[in-house]
Amino acid sequence: MLKPTTLAMILAGGRVDELNVLTYYRPKSAVPFGGFGRVIDFALSNLMNSGIERVAILSQYRSYSLINHISTGAAWDMIGRYRRASILPPFTASDGSNWYRGSADAIFKNLDFVRYHAPEDILILSGDHIYKMDYQDMIAFHHEKDADLTVALIKVPQEEAHRFGVATIDEGEDLRGGLLRQYWEKPAQPESDWVSLTVFCFKPEILYRALEENQAGQSFEFGRDIIPLLLRQHCRVYGYKFSGYWGYTRTVEEYWQSNMDLLGERPLIDMEQWGIRTNLEHRGIRDCQPSLIGDCAIIENSMAYNGCLIEGTVRNSILFPGVHVAKGAVVENSVLFFDNVVSENCRLNKVVADVNSVYGEGVIIGADADGTAAKATVIGWNNQVPEQTIIENGATIYPNLKMGKWLRNVKSGEVLR
Amino acid sequence: MIKTKEALVLLLAGGVGSRLNILVQNRAKPAVPFAGLYRIIDFSLSNVMNSGLKKVGVLTQYKPLSLMSHMGTGEAWDFTGRSRGVKVLPPRTGSKDSDWYKGTADAVRRNIDFIEANPTDEIVILSGDHIYHMDFDAMIEYHRSKNADVTIGMMVVPKSEIHQFGAGIIDRHNRIVEWEEKPRIPRTNLASMGIYVFDRKYLLNALARDKDDVDFGMHILPWAIDNDSVFAYPFYGYWRDVGTIQAYWDANMDVLRKDSGISPQKWKIRTNVEADGRPADRAAARFGSNARLRNAMVAAGCDIKGIVENSVLAPGVIVEDGAVVRNSILFADCRIKKNAMVDLAILDKRVCVGEYAVVGAGENYTVANRLKPTHLYTGITLIGKGAHVPPAQKIGRNCVINSYIKESAYLQNIVEDGESLFPNGEIV
Repeated sequence: MLKPTTLAMILAGGRVDELNVLTYYRPKSAVPFGGFGRVIDFALSNLMNSGIERVAILSQYRSYSLINHISTGAAWDMIGRYRRASILPPFTASDGSNWYRGSADAIFKNLDFVRYHAPEDILILSGDHIYKMDYQDMIAFHHEKDADLTVALIKVPQEEAHRFGVATIDEGEDLRGGLLRQYWEKPAQPESDWVSLTVFCFKPEILYRALEENQAGQSFEFGRDIIPLLLRQHCRVYGYKFSGYWGYTRTVEEYWQSNMDLLGERPLIDMEQWGIRTNLEHRGIRDCQPSLIGDCAIIENSMAYNGCLIEGTVRNSILFPGVHVAKGAVVENSVLFFDNVVSENCRLNKVVADVNSVYGEGVIIGADADGTAAKATVIGWNNQVPEQTIIENGATIYPNLKMGKWLRNVKSGEVLR
Repeated sequence: MIKTKEALVLLLAGGVGSRLNILVQNRAKPAVPFAGLYRIIDFSLSNVMNSGLKKVGVLTQYKPLSLMSHMGTGEAWDFTGRSRGVKVLPPRTGSKDSDWYKGTADAVRRNIDFIEANPTDEIVILSGDHIYHMDFDAMIEYHRSKNADVTIGMMVVPKSEIHQFGAGIIDRHNRIVEWEEKPRIPRTNLASMGIYVFDRKYLLNALARDKDDVDFGMHILPWAIDNDSVFAYPFYGYWRDVGTIQAYWDANMDVLRKDSGISPQKWKIRTNVEADGRPADRAAARFGSNARLRNAMVAAGCDIKGIVENSVLAPGVIVEDGAVVRNSILFADCRIKKNAMVDLAILDKRVCVGEYAVVGAGENYTVANRLKPTHLYTGITLIGKGAHVPPAQKIGRNCVINSYIKESAYLQNIVEDGESLFPNGEIV
C-alpha cells in the first residue's frame, strides 16, 4: 500500500441545541443511532468503505464519549502503517491558540498536522449526518474538473432549504454536477433547492490560503465564509450532486424520524447493507449475548441489537443493547438507548430515551397509543422514573433528575430539570 | 502482580468430538458454534481470562484452522500484552516422521519445552470443549491450601451418567483415594470435569515416568492417586460436556430458560467478534410486522418475518414470511425461505431451506439414524454447512444432510426418517 493521497478531516465537535438533553453530555456525532452505533459511524464507515483511512477527527464539545468511541480506530480498520484515526482537540500554544471558533478555525489551528501529511486532496466532512456515500466518486469528479473546491449537494424540498447552505450550479451535460455559481448560508428566501451536505474536497494550497485569509475576519465557518471567499476569488468551485438518503437530524423530531426510517419492509436506511461499523468495545456491547425473547413477548416492525431481554410488547421501535422490556409493558414508536429498563405494565409511546434509565411499574409516557403525530418525549440519561408517573407527549426530562424533583404528572411540553 | 495468578494454562483443544457428527466435519469440537454468538472454546478461554490467568497454550491437532482463526491474536480474551499470551501448540514431527498426539498426557509431554519456557509453580490443564463458568484462581488457592500434588475439578452427576467420566472416591478431606476411568458399574457419583491443577515439578516427573502413559484419566491420574496426594475440588453449578448431539441441543435450549443456570453474558463469556463470520459487521436484528417470536434467542443481523419458537438463531439468520422455525439451532447466515418449516433440527452455517420445504417432517422420532444410530435417535435432524434444501422437499427425523449438498443431489422429494443424504445423491 502506497502512502495515501487523501486526508479526511471530520468535524465532530459540535453540540446541537435543539437535540437538547441528548447532547447534554456528548457532541451530536456521538449520539447513539440505529440500535448499536453512533452518528459518527456513518462518516467513519463511509471513509472505510471508500478506502480512505487516514482520518483526523476534530472534537471540542464534551469529547470524552467521542474519544472513547473512536478508541484506536481499529473498528474502522484505521490502524496500521498509513491508517489512523487521530483525534485533534483544541489546544493552547505559545501564540495563544485557543478554543475552536468555528469549523474553518478548527482546521486552521491544525494546519501543521495537515501539512505534515502532505495530502493531494483534503476531504472535510461533518460527522453529524446519516448517509451512505462513496467519497472516491466525488474525488474522481473533483480531479476530472480540476476543481479547487468540490461541494457535495443534495436536493431538498424548497421549504426546507432555508435551514441549509444553498447553492446554484451550472446544469450542464455532466449529470454528476457542475460549476457552483452562487452560495448562501441559511438564506431566508432560498433561490435553489440544492443544499450543501457539508462534504468538501479541497485542493490543499487553496485551502491553506483561504483559511489564512479567513483568520482576519470575525466568523470562521466553511459554509458562511470559506465557500463565498473562494467564489469571490473566482476559484474553480464545483457542486457534486448526491442523491440518496440524507439524515440531517438537527431536531428531536428529525432524529426520531430518521430512526423510524430504519424500520419497515423497505427501510430507507439499511445499516447492514451500507456496511456501517461501530466500535463494539464502546459500552462493552461485544460482551452482550444474543437477545432473549420471552414466552409472551410480541415484537413487530422493530430492531434490537444483542443484549436485550424482551418479555413484553415492542412495536415500531429501536432497542439498543441492554434494554429490558418486562411482561405487560408496551413500547411503541420509541427509541431506547443502551440499558433502559422498562418495568411491568409501563406504556411508552414515541419516546426517545437516553441511556441507563429505569421506568417503575405502570409508568405511562407519551402520546396515546393511537398517534405518532404528537411530539416525541425525551428522557435524559440515568433517571429513575417513579412508579405510576404519567409523562405527557413532548415533555423533556433532564438527565440525573433527583428523586424530589419528580411530579406525578408531567404535562405535555413541560421541561423537568 | 499477585503470585497466585501466574499459573500456566494448557488448553486441550485437539479432540475430534466425532459424536457431534457433521458439525465437526470441517472444524474441531471446541470451534463448534454455541448459543448463537459463541464457540465452545469461548467458555474455557473466558474462564481463564476472568480468573486472571495470563499465559495459555492451546494444544490443537484435529482440523485446527477454524479454531486458530477464531483465536486470532488472543486479543478478544485480553491475552495480548507484555506478560500475556496465547500460543497455539500444534503437533510437530519429532523423532519419527509422524508424531501425532496419542492422548492428553502425550500432547502435554510433547510440549514440555513450552512449559519450561514459562516456569510457574502450578499448571492448569483444561479441556476446551465444555460449557461452564469457573474461577480457576480459587481452585489454585484450594490446591495450595491442600498442599496437593494434583487437584481435579469434580462435580456430582447422576449415577446413570457416571460411565462417561472419570470417577473418584474421596475421603472426608476431599482427598481422592480411588479412581475409576469410565466405570460400567457406578460406585460414586463424583465425576471428573477434565480440569486439573498440577504442581509443576510433579507434572514433569509424572510425564517423565513412562512414555506409554499417554492419557491423564487412564494413566497419569490413577498412578498419582495410588501414590501421591490428589484432591478433588468440588464444583457446584452448570457444567456440560456437549460432546453429543443430544447434549449439545439440550445445552443450547438451556440458554433459553431463565432457571437453567447458564448465562453467557452473566458469566462474562467473550468471543472474537472480528473472526470468520464477522459478527462485527452486523446491524441490529430486524423484526417484521408479522413476525411472531416466543422463547427465542436472536443474534444481531437476523431478519425475522416468520415464526420462531424455542430456537437459537446465530447472526445473520433470515426467516422469511410464513416460514416457521421451532425447537432448532440455526448457525450464522442460514436462510429459511417463505412458508418453509424447520422443526427439531440443527442447521450449520449458510444452510438454505427452499420455499415450502419441511425439515423435520412427521411425528416419528424413534427411527434412529441408520448410519449413526448412537448420534441421532431422539428426532434431531442435522443439515451440514452450506447445504441447500430444494423447495417443497421433505426431510424426516434423525436425518443427516451432508455439507454443501446442492438441490440436484435430492433424487426423491422426501428424505425418510433416519436417512442420510450424500453429495452424489446416495441415500443411506
